[in-house]
Amino acid sequence: MNKHIIYFPKDGQASLVSNEWQVWNGELDEGAQFESPDQASDLNKVLVPFHWWITHHHNTNIMARANKGEIGVWFATDDDILKHANIIKAGKALWPVVAAHFPIFRDGRSFSTAALLRQRFDWQNEVRAIGDVLIDQLLQGARVGFDAFEMRADQDLKVGLTQFDLFSVTTQNSWRRKRSLLEA
Amino acid sequence: MYKYDAIDQTLVDQRVAQFRDQVARRLDGSLAEEEFRPLRLQNGLYHQRHAYMLRIAIPYGLLSAKQLRTLALISDQYDRGYGHFTTRQNIQFNWIELAQTPDILAELAKVEMHAIQTSGNCIRNITSDAFAGVAGDEYVDSRPVCELLRQWSTLHPEFAHLPRKFKFAINGAKEDRTVLLCHDVGIELKKNTWGELIADLYAGGGMGRTPILGSLIKQDLPWQVLPSYLTALLRVYNRFGRRDNLYKARIKILVKALGPQEFARQVEGEWTHLQNGDDNFTKGEWERVAKHFTKPAYQQLSSLTNEQVIADAPEAEQTTFARWLERNVRPHQVPGYASVILSLKPHGTVAPGDATTAQMKAIADLSDQYSFGELRVTHEQNLVLADVEQSKLFELWRAAKKQNVALANIGLLTDIIACPGGDFCSLANAKSLPIAKAIQERFDNLDYLFDLGDISLNISGCINSCGHHHVGNIGVLGVDKDGEEWYQITLGGEQGVDAAIGKVIGPSFYADEIPDVITSVINTYVGHRLDDESFIDAYRRLGVGPFKEAAYKNSKKRKKVDDQSESALS
Repeated sequence: MNKHIIYFPKDGQASLVSNEWQVWNGELDEGAQFESPDQASDLNKVLVPFHWWITHHHNTNIMARANKGEIGVWFATDDDILKHANIIKAGKALWPVVAAHFPIFRDGRSFSTAALLRQRFDWQNEVRAIGDVLIDQLLQGARVGFDAFEMRADQDLKVGLTQFDLFSVTTQNSWRRKRSLLEA
Repeated sequence: MYKYDAIDQTLVDQRVAQFRDQVARRLDGSLAEEEFRPLRLQNGLYHQRHAYMLRIAIPYGLLSAKQLRTLALISDQYDRGYGHFTTRQNIQFNWIELAQTPDILAELAKVEMHAIQTSGNCIRNITSDAFAGVAGDEYVDSRPVCELLRQWSTLHPEFAHLPRKFKFAINGAKEDRTVLLCHDVGIELKKNTWGELIADLYAGGGMGRTPILGSLIKQDLPWQVLPSYLTALLRVYNRFGRRDNLYKARIKILVKALGPQEFARQVEGEWTHLQNGDDNFTKGEWERVAKHFTKPAYQQLSSLTNEQVIADAPEAEQTTFARWLERNVRPHQVPGYASVILSLKPHGTVAPGDATTAQMKAIADLSDQYSFGELRVTHEQNLVLADVEQSKLFELWRAAKKQNVALANIGLLTDIIACPGGDFCSLANAKSLPIAKAIQERFDNLDYLFDLGDISLNISGCINSCGHHHVGNIGVLGVDKDGEEWYQITLGGEQGVDAAIGKVIGPSFYADEIPDVITSVINTYVGHRLDDESFIDAYRRLGVGPFKEAAYKNSKKRKKVDDQSESALS
């Protein structure tokens, strides 16, 4: 778990903030510090796999932590979020943070996941990029709907922070802004 | 042609700065090659057999004289004195230094050019009809839609890492000069009975290992909603296209697996949420772009007959000039004008589609002198001067001859489409260029070629099919067998409205057999031809039988071939 993440709110500036969320890879996660998020340290809030949430959210301990705002979910690249729209809609009141995973930086499926969360579900809370998140994909991620980035451990966060101002114009709409138009 | 506004210019300038920083991080080692690779590819930079290759976009094939002079400058200062025009309206330079690429891109940005998305798993350079705006058979000038979609797709964040490359072609004419059905998405523009601009969309076409013609998935779509519809289509592909197998990652595999109807249904389902959104084009945007594609300042001229044009030439030159008029000159929408194709396929000298620095400069001058300073690049790797006064055709022909770009072989057997092949490309299994050269040398008799008429011969050095062999009447594909270069022949491919994928005739041949094999195929055609029947018509009437028999009759080496790898490829 990285100490810091890049946080870049929709109408604000990008900055480094402390990371409060631990990503849990599920029960099959070898070497995990806990077998279930209800055993995790109270210090950490936990992002659980979405498919795990589907089968375990009736567990009272889990729900108790979720009600305290300590549980979020992360979407794998093969989670079809539109198929589970009702669960996600219910999650809007529960999850302070959701995340979408990049198994490798050049897998763009989570870009569409973030876009759908913002467009279709009108997701207002944080959407975090996790996994193989690298400097040169930050801007694309920020434009499709991510506002937080837990970067791969070897990435230079300071260089990461410089990526969001590279372009002052755009030629298609995105979550952050409409396409640039010339003054009439 | 389109002129960048402040937004376009800022975007390409900032893209150069971004890439300059990425290259610097690569060179100082803070960016690993594996992670730099997709970044450089999305700026057209490949690592090839000898050096880096830079592929520069010529969006929908339009080029100004000024831009061509910049390409000549790049060829001269940063490369080895020539460039290669490709089948998808790009130009490639083969001898590039990585450290110099930001400077090259900065030179390009000065003349409103770039290499953005000419490679990589993203939306590639959008191609169109090289004769858009001047063709006699045009329903709609495709260029404003091409430019609007160029802008929409440029640095599109959601579709920056698709499962695989994604190619658009757009056509607005009766004849198809874009190989529309071999594209991931083909957009056919037309007007409805109320005169409104609408589009039919074909998806899932492609060449490569699994050649498939695209399927019609949407009809009569108003032009304004193309961005929202294409967002829906690309989103379905981005989410569900295969990423586990490089060879099954193109959209054609998804469309085939789901079936075109189901694919269309899923796109439609996504689109219902997007179609009324603000992604769609506005009238203001149309006007901003379309005003650049108004007609140039044509003179009021009367049409000349062919006889009148030929009469400009001295008697001794009339036969060859007439032949050039027939093969290399196309009718124009405006009386007194014609479009001229400059052949980049001289026999037996350089690679098909290559132009030297000197030729680029001279052709830029010709375009200034004869065609309003504009050029077009064709899918067949030739250049077009689209707006030439008929009364100046003879003068232009003489000037073009001096540059060795006036061979009257357009559409003939030696107007070969070829990829750079194993001489340059690290993907290739076999060389393409020596095969093209050998065929051109074998058929170096223009009278004979002229009698044969329209025949397309396309050569790819590997199954990636950059030389479009699948849609050549005669296709030649380089294959590797135990480290040796072999060539597979396909017959019956065709581009245009009757597009078809060629069929493999049988086991492969050695390189040195190819000219004989092609000769046998051609002789069979000549032997069976009825009147003026074209090669493809004769092939369709006769079937593969007689051609196959002739091709293998004299082949001594074919028995050595391992047939197993053959069937794996077909």
